[in-house]
Amino acid sequence: MILGLTYPTAGDIEVLGQPVGSLAARAQVGYLPETFRFHDWLTASELLHFHAGLARVPAQVRAARVCELLELVGLSDRLDDRLSTFSKGMMQRVGLAQALIGQPRLVILDEPTSALDPIGRRDVRDRIRELGQQGVTVFLNSHLLSEVEQVCDRVAIIDHGAIVAEGKLDSLLSAQEIEIRAGDGAEAAARQALGDAEVRARNGRLRVRVANDEETAILVQRIVEAGVPVYDVRQVGDSLEDLFVRVAERGDV
Amino acid sequence: MSTHLIAFFTLREALRRRVVLAAALLTFGYLVLYGVGVWFGYRDLQDTPGGPPGLTEGVINLMLVGGLWSLNFIASVLAIFLSVGALGGEVDQGTLHAIAARPVRRSEIVLGKFVGFALMLAVFIGVSASLMILIVAVITGQLVGASWSGPLLMLLAAMLLIGLALAGSSRLSPLPNGVIVFTLYSTALIGGVIEQIGDVLESAVMFNIGVFSSVLVPTRAIWDMASAQLATGGFAGELSAGPFGASNPPSGWMLLIAGLHLALALGYAVRTFNRRDF
Repeated sequence: MILGLTYPTAGDIEVLGQPVGSLAARAQVGYLPETFRFHDWLTASELLHFHAGLARVPAQVRAARVCELLELVGLSDRLDDRLSTFSKGMMQRVGLAQALIGQPRLVILDEPTSALDPIGRRDVRDRIRELGQQGVTVFLNSHLLSEVEQVCDRVAIIDHGAIVAEGKLDSLLSAQEIEIRAGDGAEAAARQALGDAEVRARNGRLRVRVANDEETAILVQRIVEAGVPVYDVRQVGDSLEDLFVRVAERGDV
Repeated sequence: MSTHLIAFFTLREALRRRVVLAAALLTFGYLVLYGVGVWFGYRDLQDTPGGPPGLTEGVINLMLVGGLWSLNFIASVLAIFLSVGALGGEVDQGTLHAIAARPVRRSEIVLGKFVGFALMLAVFIGVSASLMILIVAVITGQLVGASWSGPLLMLLAAMLLIGLALAGSSRLSPLPNGVIVFTLYSTALIGGVIEQIGDVLESAVMFNIGVFSSVLVPTRAIWDMASAQLATGGFAGELSAGPFGASNPPSGWMLLIAGLHLALALGYAVRTFNRRDF
């Protein structure tokens, strides 16, 4: 919808202050489709020149920009080769160059590293971070959650077409679990402090979900105040993947 | 406006695709065969003494019109094959996504493709028809059919088919679209034959079926106009009434109908493609 490829059934959307789908909005957006299928009778350089024209890049800077972007994605030695001779990874890289040709303010990358090897992935991650530093908003759509975790500032999880969790990555992941090894009565004390839903007993240890470090401190203090000895408090890391699974399976954040 | 970019892109794609290369090679082979045929036909004609005045010119004319009729057929098939998957097929393949996301109107994509294919067909018809007229002129020493109107009408017929194929392609996948457009084209072709037979048998029903098919898809009627333009000389009327022409070439109104047809087809293509979700 942001790209004007599908139409909203109701409501209005603005992209960078312009109505969604308008030419003014699309002029500021770059897009790498998930399928990254391009006309494979073109050479890499021809594809970029064509898109530069469509993106209204001034004719006198086009050639320089094409060279620069092919250099950026590591394809400058293949600029005159037909896309039909390219591997999937090379197609994806030339697709990334294509998405950036119009110096967009918003870049939409749909699974941009699905066909890349680990080095290629790291390159793309670095490029995304660079774009972010240049003030470009990158909209990364991916199932590779470790990748999202490494490059994104804000994350939204979509399940069955609806956003089920959204926010800054830090704050989404700051809700964490701690594991407490303590004497008898710790569970009752913890439940009193935080309520039933947050506490689970497992193998003589307590698993407690807390929002932040302060809550951890308060919880430990309450248990100690109840006269229960605390032997060990350990943070159990919460990754984006844990969050995703929790949200998708149980619907809680 | 990006129409010219899409048009140039489409033209380049058509030139690089094997279908055009194949058509060019086959047409070249056909022209060689045709030249051999004309050469022998003309020699036999000269060996036959007598006959009414103007017969030689009439036969030369018939040979040219017959040759151009087959070129027109190749051009029509080429027009359909090139454009039948131009929109729907590319959406299905995903090759149009990155282009449609650019600041380009959907109408510019449709019209750009139309212009690109039309230019391609203009080159094909222009070159092959000129070569054919030249072959006949060199062998017989008589320049016949050297008018712009014939090939231009052939181009118009091809453009009608491109318009139809794009209209279908804005909604359908290549295969069903190809079947529909080719069926419509055949309907017009057969309708023309029925019209001719109806004319001979003085059957109003058959004649009207033919006229109706020409209004539905005017490609055959436009060819009839072209062949009437190309047929000159004493026997023009009689000879053009053969398999390659109509006994009653359509009036100028048919141009108006063709124009309307094209405008409607392109209008429909733009409207439907505009609303299409990718």
